[in-house]
Amino acid sequence: MKVSLSRWAAWAPGLETTEAWAAWANAPAAIGAEGVPDASFLPAMLRRRCTPLTRTMLAAAFRCLEAEELPRLRSVFASRHGSINESIGLLGNVARGEKLSPAVFSHTVHNAQAALFSIAAGNTAASSSLSAQEDTWPCAFVEALSMLERDRDAPVLLVVGDVPLAETFAPLVDEPAVPYAFACRLAAAGSGPGIELSLAESTRPRARPPWPHALEFLRWWLSGAPELVQGARSTSFRFARA
Amino acid sequence: MTRTPCSLAALGQVNALGKSNAEVAKNLFAGDGSGLVRRDDLVPGRSLFFGEVRDPLPEIPARLARFDCRNNRLALAALEQIGAEVEAALAAFGRARIGVVVGTSTSGVSDAEQAIAERERTGRLARKFDYAQLEFGGLAGFLAECVGARGPAYTLSTACSSGARALASARSLVALGLCDAVISGASDSLCGLTANGFHSLGALSEAITNPCSRNRDGLTLGEGAALFLVTRDPGGVQLLGVGESSEAHHISAPDPEGRGAEAAMRGALADAGLAPAEIAYLNLHGTGTPQNDPMECAAVARVFGRELPCSSTKALVGHALGAAGAIEAAFCWLALREIRDGALPLPPHVFDGERDPELAEISLVPGSASARVGARARVMTNSFGFGGSNCTLVLGTDARP
Repeated sequence: MKVSLSRWAAWAPGLETTEAWAAWANAPAAIGAEGVPDASFLPAMLRRRCTPLTRTMLAAAFRCLEAEELPRLRSVFASRHGSINESIGLLGNVARGEKLSPAVFSHTVHNAQAALFSIAAGNTAASSSLSAQEDTWPCAFVEALSMLERDRDAPVLLVVGDVPLAETFAPLVDEPAVPYAFACRLAAAGSGPGIELSLAESTRPRARPPWPHALEFLRWWLSGAPELVQGARSTSFRFARA
Repeated sequence: MTRTPCSLAALGQVNALGKSNAEVAKNLFAGDGSGLVRRDDLVPGRSLFFGEVRDPLPEIPARLARFDCRNNRLALAALEQIGAEVEAALAAFGRARIGVVVGTSTSGVSDAEQAIAERERTGRLARKFDYAQLEFGGLAGFLAECVGARGPAYTLSTACSSGARALASARSLVALGLCDAVISGASDSLCGLTANGFHSLGALSEAITNPCSRNRDGLTLGEGAALFLVTRDPGGVQLLGVGESSEAHHISAPDPEGRGAEAAMRGALADAGLAPAEIAYLNLHGTGTPQNDPMECAAVARVFGRELPCSSTKALVGHALGAAGAIEAAFCWLALREIRDGALPLPPHVFDGERDPELAEISLVPGSASARVGARARVMTNSFGFGGSNCTLVLGTDARP
């Protein structure tokens, strides 16, 4: 299925505007490891409960869509680590036989970002949340296609993001440890210009970009290059302009 | 537009009712809740019931040791039951055409708990621990590596609707032609984190969960795995409809009116092109919490009236959270496969019989009941997750041989 990407927004430390991202895409540099976006777009009560990941992903989501689409579009939220940093504290509580905080526990479900987006935007449409190890970004794109298959006439908001893992688990994972989020609006393209995704078996390991795969996708999208092949495991994901 | 057929071509499962389709079916239709047992090691100072899998689980192959955790062992127990069908699909389509879309809410948290406990004692994580056991994506990665599938492999985690949603996405990947077959379903395992988390919310029952009873006081946690091979074959048990909604209401409580639940059921009916009267049975989400049952019964009554046979099977297996949607789709699959002479066997609604008069009136399936079905049999299953993530599925079979 060919899809059109009509709007996008991204956030990483020091990269907050479309212009900043365009400049970065042309001459990419290492991304800072610390920071969270301003959350003034959220109601105060929700802001207090937002984890850094929730704030980062919702900032990209809210910047991506026009206000009238925020309550309407279906959504896919993807994060490799999700709320694992918050879970680490709870796991310590469990190990010590302590009581858990119900509020903290409630916000460690992997769909916490999707749930808080639904509440903050007043959005009752279908929403999905996923994780796929090193291939979380391209699999999130596949999941957005699956949503479009269920209803080709309704666009989908795709949001991917992560924050660096806390030191308990960080040494176990080899990947760029930067906080970031990327959001885009995908729609079935029909006969117009769009992106076609094709899948194949990957036979040799592919070099990893020094930033998250979703931001490499954004670089490709802004570059105008005809295709991008991603996939860190045994599947190759080929994005082509069509 | 005619929808691409979506066959739930093979099923493997393990839960507190048993470790094969035959064993689960026998205990399910008999309403045998003896698989729920007391454990005092999950919540400090409390002895509570859990739907525990007590059968020994298969060993993770040595080459995949990094994935070795209870959650993946449960999944492997289900996968082994459909090994022949998965092999045939790999041979027929090639491994690049086989995907994995599964659900979990726990992944290998129980193993991470042990690793963290060791860290508390020694300052170091347990050596056997690998991040692939804990991260949600590890379940799909494990299953893909286990069978050599090279299509997209990802884990959906939308709390208690994860398993149902995985089947919905698997159907779409096959319909899109991105895959020719998808291993899909879910696995969830008992662990201290969810037991203590739900305990902190006051959501766990003191006894065995008692859905729709005036005496209900919460849910009983369970564990298990159910994996289907999803293909585009016509015939057999088909996944006919998917309905999804979000609640925009609260992170840990459903909308008391059940509007999200109603939207999911109506969406699944519309997707399947069915009228409410064409559904022969509904497997309720039916957690037995004070909040779930009133909103679900109200929503069911608005969509179906009071005649549709309904049951919650949570008092037989417990609430397996991220796997519940797949496990309950598996129960629907078993019922459809056991139609004899136009009689669809129904999983009984097991509770203390003291129906809560405050709930909207719906028909709860008594012990050993069946529903009359014609050439077409259609059943529905509800899954409503934390954070207001709802997914309803419609399964069906046509013209018995």
